[in-house]
This record gives sequence, structure tokens and C-alpha cells, in this order.
Amino acid sequence: MAVSSTRGTELLRGVLDLCLLAVIDEGPAYGYEMTKRLRERGLSFVGEGSIYPLLGRLERDGLVETYRAASNGGPPRKYYRPSSAGRIALALGVSEWRAARDAVDAVLAPVKVEVAT
Amino acid sequence: MTDFVEQCRREWKRLGVSDPLAEEMAADLASDLSEAEAEGVSAEELLGMSAFDPPSFAASWAAERGIIPEQPSPTNARRRPLFLMAFTGVAAIALVVAAGLLLTGEPKLTLATSGTRAGGIGPLPRSVVHSTSAPDPVEWILLVLAVIALGFAAWLWSARARSHPPTAPGQ
Repeated sequence: MAVSSTRGTELLRGVLDLCLLAVIDEGPAYGYEMTKRLRERGLSFVGEGSIYPLLGRLERDGLVETYRAASNGGPPRKYYRPSSAGRIALALGVSEWRAARDAVDAVLAPVKVEVAT
Repeated sequence: MTDFVEQCRREWKRLGVSDPLAEEMAADLASDLSEAEAEGVSAEELLGMSAFDPPSFAASWAAERGIIPEQPSPTNARRRPLFLMAFTGVAAIALVVAAGLLLTGEPKLTLATSGTRAGGIGPLPRSVVHSTSAPDPVEWILLVLAVIALGFAAWLWSARARSHPPTAPGQ
């Protein structure tokens, strides 16, 4: 289980920026809201690391735009949305991911998995 | 959770992050942590292992945002203490040697030249060894330099301690 969790974390680390860009491409979101969107899609192990430094890097690289707005009854929050450069990076990244995923699938597809119960 | 945010705030201040930026990040973090807590999500679930190391989390976030200089590489971080240790050691040895020479009152040796030559015939200038018990200025100069060097080393160590505070257990 620990091995599986570690591999999942390592795999996610390489594409977490794409995942963040993807969830805010659906609609602007603040930090915790992004975590919830990722968790709803099964990426609960995002908690192995933290999205905040990554959001900082996306902001520094000009891949996201930010603005402040009131949340639902709460204090004003910092919302993130992809910039035009961020949308291009997302499209390129998704293309790279799909190519890599297909290549790995081609290698792993013949493997028969038997899980002992 | 408030304590976590406060520790981040202290780290940003230590790193030289401007107050408005530090305040902005602290407010965002506090809001997210509060909302997560209200929904039964722990800080660990939100922040991962970073939840146990606020200073590293804060430094990493600020560095990725590009609002502080990159952290020094581990190689440079190791090299500086080695240099400092060597410098301090040499200064301490110089101090001990100078103090020892002055305190033991060992006869000091100086080399002087004396002699006369009369009419072209006579003794050749010869070297004569004089001994004296008076402290030679060289020892005093060495002592003063060693004290100055040790003081400088102490200042460097304290500056290093301020920039690399020890991490509290359990953080």
C-alpha cells in the first residue's frame, strides 16, 4: 500500500500543475476549492504535498491570473484562473500526458494482474 | 491552525517577504484552513506533510512565487561552516601561541649585525645573537590580530545562527 501511495504521489507530482490548470479552467477557484475539485475526481492523495507552492509557481510563470472576490459569505478570497499562456500550456501538457499515457499503456497492457484476496 | 499560520508569518518575515504579500498569503491560508476545518478536513489532508513543517512550507511557497531569493544549495550551506570552523580554529591557535609566548617570558631572540672594519683590515661584520626578555612587538601584534580574528569569527557565527535558527522539536 505504501509503495502504491508513493507511486501515485510521484505520478501526480509530474502532472499536478496540469490538473490545477484544468480545474480552474472549468471556473475560477481559490486554493481550498481546487483541492476539493481534485478530491471529487479521486485525487485525494494530493494532500501528500501541497498545492500552494505550485500555485505560486504558476502565478510567477504567468500561467494563471488572480483576483480577489468575496466567497460564499466568507472573507474575500484569492481566485485563480488560467491566463492565455496557461491555456496554451494546458493544451500542450494534456497532449504530452496523453502520448505518455498511451505509450505506457502499450507496454503495460499485456500484463495480467492477479490480485490475491 | 492559527499557530500554523503564525509560524508561516514569522518565517516570511525572517525571509524578508514584504508585509503586504505575507499578509495576503497568511489570510488566504487561514481562510482555507478554517473552511477545511469546518468541513471536517484536517490540515494534514489539505497540506500533506507540510502541515508538520510550517517554516519549510512557508519558505517553499514564497520561493516558488519568486518573492524571496532561491534558498542556498546544500553544498554552499555545508561549505560555509567548514570555512568558518577552519577560520575560527586558526584564530584560536594564533591567540594561544601569542599568549603563550608573552606569558612564558621565554627569551626573545633578535638578530643584529655589529663589527667594525678599520683601514680595510679588521674583523668582518658578524652576526651576533642578542637575547632579551622584553616582549617583542611581534607577539603583541599577533595577539591583537588573533583577538580581532576571533571577534570576527564570533560575529560570523552569530549571523549564521540568526539566519539558520534551530528547528524546534516536533515541527
